[in-house]
Amino acid sequence: MGPRGFGGFATSALIAGAILWSFVTTDVELSRLVSAGPRIADFLGRMFPPDPTVMAEIRKGSAETLRIAILGSLGAVILSIPLGILASETMVSPALFRPVRTLLAFIRAIPLILVAMLMVGAVGLGPLPGIIAVAFHATGMLAKFYAEAIDGVSRAPIAALESAGAGPLVRLRHAIWPQMAPVVARDTIFRFELNLRESLILGIVGAGGIGFYIQTYVRSFQYDKAASVTIAVVVMVIAIEALNVALRRRFA
Amino acid sequence: MSPAAQIDDLTFAHPGADLPALEQVSLRIPAGESVALLGPSGAGKTTLLALLDGRLHGWRGRVSVLGVPLDPDRPPPRASRPDTGFVFQEFALVERSTVLRNVLNGRLGRMSPLRALLGSPTPHDLEIARTALADCGIADLAERRVDSLSGGQRQRVAIARCLAQEPRLILADEPVSNLDPTRAGEILALLTGAAQARGATALFSSHQPDLARRFAQRIIGIRDGRVAFDVPSSELKDEATAALYREAEPLPGLGLRAVS
Repeated sequence: MGPRGFGGFATSALIAGAILWSFVTTDVELSRLVSAGPRIADFLGRMFPPDPTVMAEIRKGSAETLRIAILGSLGAVILSIPLGILASETMVSPALFRPVRTLLAFIRAIPLILVAMLMVGAVGLGPLPGIIAVAFHATGMLAKFYAEAIDGVSRAPIAALESAGAGPLVRLRHAIWPQMAPVVARDTIFRFELNLRESLILGIVGAGGIGFYIQTYVRSFQYDKAASVTIAVVVMVIAIEALNVALRRRFA
Repeated sequence: MSPAAQIDDLTFAHPGADLPALEQVSLRIPAGESVALLGPSGAGKTTLLALLDGRLHGWRGRVSVLGVPLDPDRPPPRASRPDTGFVFQEFALVERSTVLRNVLNGRLGRMSPLRALLGSPTPHDLEIARTALADCGIADLAERRVDSLSGGQRQRVAIARCLAQEPRLILADEPVSNLDPTRAGEILALLTGAAQARGATALFSSHQPDLARRFAQRIIGIRDGRVAFDVPSSELKDEATAALYREAEPLPGLGLRAVS
């Protein structure tokens, strides 16, 4: 037994067991795995050349994705302001911020695509379920970030304003907010970037945006059109990345 | 006229500390005077000032500030807090806000709650803030952000914020500890002069006997949480200050005193 002892051995055995279990119980014949390569190559071949006639759909779809991301982010900011305050130890008692933090952790634990599916079931197809899903899902992270931003500021000015007779909300506004504002800007932009990226695929479950076209073209075997939309998505992700780098420099 | 502060048999220990930071302290701070609190580091000066500002609880004894008894179990009512101004040792300014904003922060307790929340001062508030800035010699810095200022300038902003509060009692915690002697003299002249001009009482802590003598009418020496002397500054003897700063005999526990 190696120097890491039994713990290391047990971990290795567990990982090996998990891989074996997956192989044995997955209903995939080795022959299909072998033939998967040529099939994927064939599939990729049919994607080329990408069909450039879908520019109008790409424009329409990405504009809707952008709207979903913007309105979803706006909803998340509006929800995160009160929830962030209620999740901060600076502003409220442990009896309040502990359950609020737990609630936010639960919200974060639900994947966006799952929330979107549920919302499509609740309010029907289109961008509205996408907006609600993004707002809900993003709040789990953004409210936590806001709470951490509140708790991360220097305490001395808060005490000074309290000594001057300022109440809790006035202290939040004039002692905490000026200190936390850059952090809030940075976190909100970061979350907006994630929202934009994640809402690109929301259309696949019917929650609006460019993902709708990828799903439609793949289902109708129009792989060359699906390829164009996929390229558009990749370009947008890179553009978002570049924008984010620029904004981070601005707010650093 | 009631005294600015009346303290009877006050004992206080910081939570978790073995020894009390203040022990059987009885003092009377006459209204309208400038009083220095003299003593070595860890003597209990900061603790006493914070307690008079209503920021500590769980003490024993009787304390009245500006004629109003303090409750040892709860903070003073918010309406009374602007009457006692505090100049913090580390300034406690909002670094990313402008000088004027920071000074207006001193007005927040005097504004209506809505105005305070919106940060919308009345012309009267602005006038008081501008006067405080001018009195502190920093009128030209009004629009500068605090994080671009020097230590001496920050100290003036901290004093201006306190003055904008229109306090009747000014508590200043080591207001000149980080400054060279010339600047220290200027700041203490400013602080005590502004207090006098406003008919306010100034109580400042210091560990420099010569400065205390120059700027205070009364000097209170404290050591190990107890009052060592309380005399008019003209009567302060060198032996008394020497005793205040003499090295402690190596008694068990000494040096472990909670420093605030």
